[in-house]
Amino acid sequence: MTRLERNERLIKIALLVIACSAVSILAVITIFIFSEGTPIMFKYGFKSFLLGLDWYPSEQSFGLLPMIIGSVMVTLGSLIVGVPFGLACAIFLTEFSSRRLRHILKPIIELLAGIPSVVYGFIGVVILVPFIRENFGGPGLSVLAASIILGIMILPTIISISIDSLQAVPRSYREGSIALGATKWQTTKMVTLKAARSGIIASIILGMGRAIGETMAVIMIAGNAINIPHSVLDPVRTLTSNIALEMGYASGEHREALFATGVILFVIIMVLNTLANLTSAKRKA
Amino acid sequence: MRNLLVIYSLCILVLSGCGRDKAGSGITVAGSTSVQPFADKWAEVYMEENPGKIVNVQGGGSSAGIQATKSGACNIGTSSRDLKSDEKDLTEIVVARDGLAIIVHPLNPIDNLGLEQVKGIFNGKIRNWRELGGSDKMITVVTREEGSGTRGAFQELVMKKDRVAKSAIVQDSNGTVREIVAGDPNSIGYISLGLVNNKVRALKLNGVPATDENIISKKYKLVRPFLFVTKGEPTPVCREFINFVQSAEGQKLVSEEGLIPVK
Amino acid sequence: MVSSIGGANLRMEVKNLNFYYGRSLALKNINMGIENNKVTAVIGPSGCGKSTFIRILNRMNDIIIGTRVEGEILLDEQNIYDPRVDVVEIRRKIGMVFQKSNPFPKSIFDNIAYGLRINGISNKTEIIDRVEMSLKNSALWDEVKDRLDDNAFELSGGQQQRLCIARALAIEPEVILFDEPCSALDPISTAKIEELINQLKEKYTIAIVTHNMQQAARISDYTGFFLLGELIEFDKTEKIFTNPSQKQTEDYITGRFG
Repeated sequence: MTRLERNERLIKIALLVIACSAVSILAVITIFIFSEGTPIMFKYGFKSFLLGLDWYPSEQSFGLLPMIIGSVMVTLGSLIVGVPFGLACAIFLTEFSSRRLRHILKPIIELLAGIPSVVYGFIGVVILVPFIRENFGGPGLSVLAASIILGIMILPTIISISIDSLQAVPRSYREGSIALGATKWQTTKMVTLKAARSGIIASIILGMGRAIGETMAVIMIAGNAINIPHSVLDPVRTLTSNIALEMGYASGEHREALFATGVILFVIIMVLNTLANLTSAKRKA
Repeated sequence: MRNLLVIYSLCILVLSGCGRDKAGSGITVAGSTSVQPFADKWAEVYMEENPGKIVNVQGGGSSAGIQATKSGACNIGTSSRDLKSDEKDLTEIVVARDGLAIIVHPLNPIDNLGLEQVKGIFNGKIRNWRELGGSDKMITVVTREEGSGTRGAFQELVMKKDRVAKSAIVQDSNGTVREIVAGDPNSIGYISLGLVNNKVRALKLNGVPATDENIISKKYKLVRPFLFVTKGEPTPVCREFINFVQSAEGQKLVSEEGLIPVK
Repeated sequence: MVSSIGGANLRMEVKNLNFYYGRSLALKNINMGIENNKVTAVIGPSGCGKSTFIRILNRMNDIIIGTRVEGEILLDEQNIYDPRVDVVEIRRKIGMVFQKSNPFPKSIFDNIAYGLRINGISNKTEIIDRVEMSLKNSALWDEVKDRLDDNAFELSGGQQQRLCIARALAIEPEVILFDEPCSALDPISTAKIEELINQLKEKYTIAIVTHNMQQAARISDYTGFFLLGELIEFDKTEKIFTNPSQKQTEDYITGRFG
């Protein structure tokens, strides 16, 4: 074996070790969450966790259904707010604006992703919550407030990845469509967007991941009531806020129940991601 | 590469070793976040006056502090609520008292409630201010999170066996509860009396205003103890710190900060 | 310089055309006619402006920012650069097939139906009929009739190019522009497309850019020779290839440069 070959091999092994350790850290985290969270679920039964309506840990009542519904509502709400805005913005910047404007705006939009979530939460508390309370009623701390703020928080992800995938659509598709007498909008709607679909779906999945995992901003503006909200103006608690709100003080079974919350969050995120990946893979084929 | 790894792990060992050293020679006080600012103050003055002594103050919440004391992870636990029956095996020392104020927005026309009415609001039976003689508005109930000492004390003093309604908004500090009540004219919440400011108004309870005098004279009922707990009798090192806290000087420090001294 | 062909039955006419990319003049004073139901070829070395020229004929250059056109391009006596003209309508009348086949990432059927749908045809049977007709006219029907729902990318390069022709035919244009349609194809596919162009001229007016002189000689009726953004010579194909009147044309077709 020459020296070069040996070096090559050493580098390969080193990279393998690093890759494996990254994966094993993930595995350790997963095992830890499950080993901390599942015993109590077995003790009280999965059903009482998944379908229980009452969360009173001091009375051994660990129903997570309101939080599961809360997480789903807030995440869907943020997508309803964020996806149309994000897509519209990405379409405008790639198809209808000048290259110069795009070169100025895209980095600015990407900068928004770097703003700490507590700042978004603060803006929500100071501006959005009083606005909702005064104009729509209710306490202001609500599903609506959380959806709007999360919708804004996922914009950079959606816009930036959608722009990349729209720009990756070959120019020849657009030319082919324009040459057939299509308008710019028809071309965008029927050719470009379809060709960029998998990238756009990926951007939505990533945005959804950020929305469902976001904690700080949601604690500040969602109100955190453990009720199932009846309207978008009602307060809501998500799985992540449940953990973050109570972890500081929790001990014993209460703490285990919070890990169980983490287990459920983990499973939900896995299911959502798998579903989203499947649909995007199916559409691509 | 191997050298790097060795240096790296040595660094970690040294760093973690340092941490342990420091903790070992002093005492650790952990628990209630409500007590924490006062414990910090005590520790600061105590360490200034007794060079070489080290007092570490940590938060974590009343329940966590009590658990930590039981398990020996800290020397003194702090609690902002009374001990529960299964916690009574610990030695408890009352170091201060704190009034719980029921607070509303300054514009709320109501200025007095009975204890049962407060309970009715928080358990969800009373949902509109009109039922209490106020304006026809839904009540926004703001409570603290499960596990907080303030919530524990409120549960014990007001709710007794009843649950706080699920529809109540939950916040994780006195400060945020106060902010929400200050912003929402229809809201009601509870915080430490010492933290009441002019953006919110503390209600009279059964006609008794929430003042220091009424707490000392036991006319105002919503009072919780701030406890130090130890496993068995306090060790001499701990005893010394506790004596300082209970001394006139220690008590003066907390009354300056809005608490009610015990002596 | 010699330009339009007097007295001919012209479908399109280019008058005093200047074209700018930013500040640089890419095409200089072009005058040329495109005769009805004939094939007009444009030849010249790389970079002579022949592709730019043909894209101007259906205003494809509009989508490139910073370009400017001077002069007139008439389609049936109407200047297509007149501000009152509907550019979408112009492109519908003047179809285009590109150098590299560019089917959409859709099924074979939808590739052709697309042009119909955007032009407001929603009747299903009409769409089906016209898709079939276009595929027949582009000599692709027999090869794809059983797999219309397959993705267009599963076709071979030559088939994809004929699909693009079918796509252009479906909306029934008057003129079809070909921008080096065979440059990426093998000789057999090229022969098929040339044959197709030959058939199409019965119904359509055709302009084709090619870098392949033999191809121009084989299929066109008129040929224009471009050099450095100028139209050097424009005449009957036969004349250009046998007895050009310009020295530069002769040098080019005899292979002395380019």
